[in-house]
Amino acid sequence: MAWRGQLSKNLKELRVLFCQSSPASAQTREFVQKNYKDLKTLNPKLPILIRECSGVEPQLWARFDMGVERGFYLEGLTETQIEKVLEEVTKAGATFKG
Amino acid sequence: MGLGLLALRASRTSLLGRSSSAISRPGFESGNPNFNLVRWIISTPELQKPEAATASEPAAPPPPPPRTPVGGARVHIEKPEDAIEVFVDGYPVKVPKGMTVLQACELAGVDIPRFCYHNRLSIAGNCRMCLVEVEKSPKPVASCAMPALPGMKIKTDTPIAKKAREGVMEFLLMNHPLDCPICDQGGECDLQDQSMAFGSDRGRFTEMKRSVVDKNLGPLVKTVMTRCIQCTRCVRFATEVAGVEDLGMLGRGSGEEIGTYVEKLMSSELSGNVIDICPVGALTSKPFAFKARNWELKGTESIDVTDAVGSNIRIDSRGPEVMRITPRLNEDINEEWISDKTRFCYDGLKRQRLNDPMIRGPDGRFKSVSWRDALAVVAEAAHQVTPEEIVGIAGKLSDAESMMVLKDLLNKMGSNNVWCEGNGMNPQADLRSGYLMNSSISGLEKADVFLLVGTQPRVEAPMVNARICKTIRATKAKVGYIGPPAEFNYDHQHLGSGPQTLQEIAEGRHPFCSALLSAKNPAIIVGAGLFERKDKDAIFSTIESIAKQAKAVRSDWNGLNVLLLNAAQAAALDLGLVPESENALETAKFVYLMGADDVDLEKLPSDAFVVYQGHHGDKGVYRSNVILPSSAFSEKEGTYENTEGCTQQTLPAVPTVGDARDDWKILRALSEVSGLRLNYTTLGGVRTRISTVAPNLVHMDEREPASFSATLAKPETQQKMSKEDFGVAVENFYMTDAITRASKIMAQCSASLLKK
Repeated sequence: MAWRGQLSKNLKELRVLFCQSSPASAQTREFVQKNYKDLKTLNPKLPILIRECSGVEPQLWARFDMGVERGFYLEGLTETQIEKVLEEVTKAGATFKG
Repeated sequence: MGLGLLALRASRTSLLGRSSSAISRPGFESGNPNFNLVRWIISTPELQKPEAATASEPAAPPPPPPRTPVGGARVHIEKPEDAIEVFVDGYPVKVPKGMTVLQACELAGVDIPRFCYHNRLSIAGNCRMCLVEVEKSPKPVASCAMPALPGMKIKTDTPIAKKAREGVMEFLLMNHPLDCPICDQGGECDLQDQSMAFGSDRGRFTEMKRSVVDKNLGPLVKTVMTRCIQCTRCVRFATEVAGVEDLGMLGRGSGEEIGTYVEKLMSSELSGNVIDICPVGALTSKPFAFKARNWELKGTESIDVTDAVGSNIRIDSRGPEVMRITPRLNEDINEEWISDKTRFCYDGLKRQRLNDPMIRGPDGRFKSVSWRDALAVVAEAAHQVTPEEIVGIAGKLSDAESMMVLKDLLNKMGSNNVWCEGNGMNPQADLRSGYLMNSSISGLEKADVFLLVGTQPRVEAPMVNARICKTIRATKAKVGYIGPPAEFNYDHQHLGSGPQTLQEIAEGRHPFCSALLSAKNPAIIVGAGLFERKDKDAIFSTIESIAKQAKAVRSDWNGLNVLLLNAAQAAALDLGLVPESENALETAKFVYLMGADDVDLEKLPSDAFVVYQGHHGDKGVYRSNVILPSSAFSEKEGTYENTEGCTQQTLPAVPTVGDARDDWKILRALSEVSGLRLNYTTLGGVRTRISTVAPNLVHMDEREPASFSATLAKPETQQKMSKEDFGVAVENFYMTDAITRASKIMAQCSASLLKK
């Protein structure tokens, strides 16, 4: 779980978009519910924007340095898979820095 | 009056001619929806002798087909057993118990003429214009004050009802001056319209008309009291909605007049609404006096940006000029009222405007240049500094699209220091529930105890204050206030002035706790002025613990609210305009001010290059090196999110001034010139981009509640609250932003209404 602390180093902004009620977003909501506090405690200065909006597909966006962004659709992914996505994004961010 | 009579005769003959020829066509009556708009006007001679007229009436003609309710209104009857049936012009309608005859008629699709009745005010029943005939009643009854009873047979179109209206009209016009040609209400006057539709074609009054001395109600409301028909709508509005008991009725009989008892200005921030509710030309807009006729104006449905409420407005313009601003109905936000700042700030749109791109020369003077040159200079300056030294600040009036482009551009330059003024240097943008009014503005009506923390809603958001006032009038809800001494127009308890009181409430030591804990729906409203405080995290965590004790955040009620100050704030936080470094301004070398005028530029290094993009030559311009003129809210299509999280948009009502351009277009052009091309070229493209950041901002006219984030666990803060008292967020209600500071009317208001 060491990568969690790297989040603020490699990323400039993390955005999680999902619907407040749809079943398609259920896994993402669950993921945010369980992990937000931990992620924010480890990365107090990183904006982790939780944006809820009815009817949107669950998405995860990461902004790296110089305005580069990567986005992923999270529909159909389980919590562990979402965590995997976030981990890969964080590691990808390290390469952008170089 | 000769012209009026002619017009009346002409309209009568044309109406009669039209309908008689139309009736011969079968199926016309049910087929043409416009038929209801044609009012039958009985020629007067028969009505001079109503007894004869009723006697000689032929057998009852077949009643007209049922009509749809006035204004497409729908009524929801909660318990079916509470419904009663009444007959309006022979047709049965089901109405809930307690409705008046007038409301029942409206449900049956009959619009009853009225002057004193207003559905948001209490019932006065003094104009008598709404008289209708009720079977078995010896006299016509005032329908606005009469409750509908089961089986009542109401007749709105009989000779007796018509005779009654004609008589009332004659009495009302007796003392009403015949100055329609020079009256500002002309063309939108209830008295004018209804005298055409229901009045007699002549009067019998030959004596002198009475006259009344005009009153001075301040720089906003012009009075011509001789025109007043004593409907008392303004008196009831002032006491019931605005919450000030300034207006009242003086004298009796023919000496009756509306006034302020003693020489006094109307001290309400909602006073402009009396202009709209006055059915005649007694109270009209002073700044609008003799400027235009209402039929010359083009209406554009837009949104107000002078506070964070986002009141729905109609911008009336003539050619390139905004002539006036009037409210639009939105039950969830502003009902049908707007604040004086919203209504009268429009003259600021014509003054102090920036119309050409300008560069400050070596002599310190600005010189007009072409857009190409100005953008090249800005791009050059941006290239000469390191990314960490670039700072972008969005202003109070910025729309979501331009803030998105600003953030994207600066991110591309490598800077992460973009923020919006008013949000502080360490904003909490993660969870939407942390900066929105979660119980919604209309939801505040369900609250039974209010706790206002560091906010003075009367000056920060008068429409929200009107809601609180309405709730308190209806339910006697309790209000506790923590902050500096402030003016309220309802009963409240001043609990204290700083964080110490907050601490006492959190620890249960304060007497107000019992009220808070026993409340069913407690509403805590936190002022956005606290965002600027260093100890804001600690304050918010204390407030959260109070909310938890009071059970203010539940699945069916979220009473933990933040009341924002500016139109741009909510959208800026939604889009994540968060500065990376708290001291970005102190080390900045390139500052991009997008309409930001209230930033403390004293901290800025003297060699910093400042670009000011905006529509007014306000505070920000003094320090700037380059000026890029942009369009104001009345000239562009822009998305704004209000304090409760409802996304709305402005629409262009008038063309832009000079060579100004829309904010987002300027930034997009700058991205091209500086070689950092952004991959969208249209407004639609920008909105698609926004939908990947904050999709709620593209759901127009919808409120996206932050229901999920309200319950999310947050990390605890290590901060401690300081002893420093809460400050005042809005010093002068009438002058808060670039537009209102440029407005002459707002300056007059500050001078005459704020002096104590």
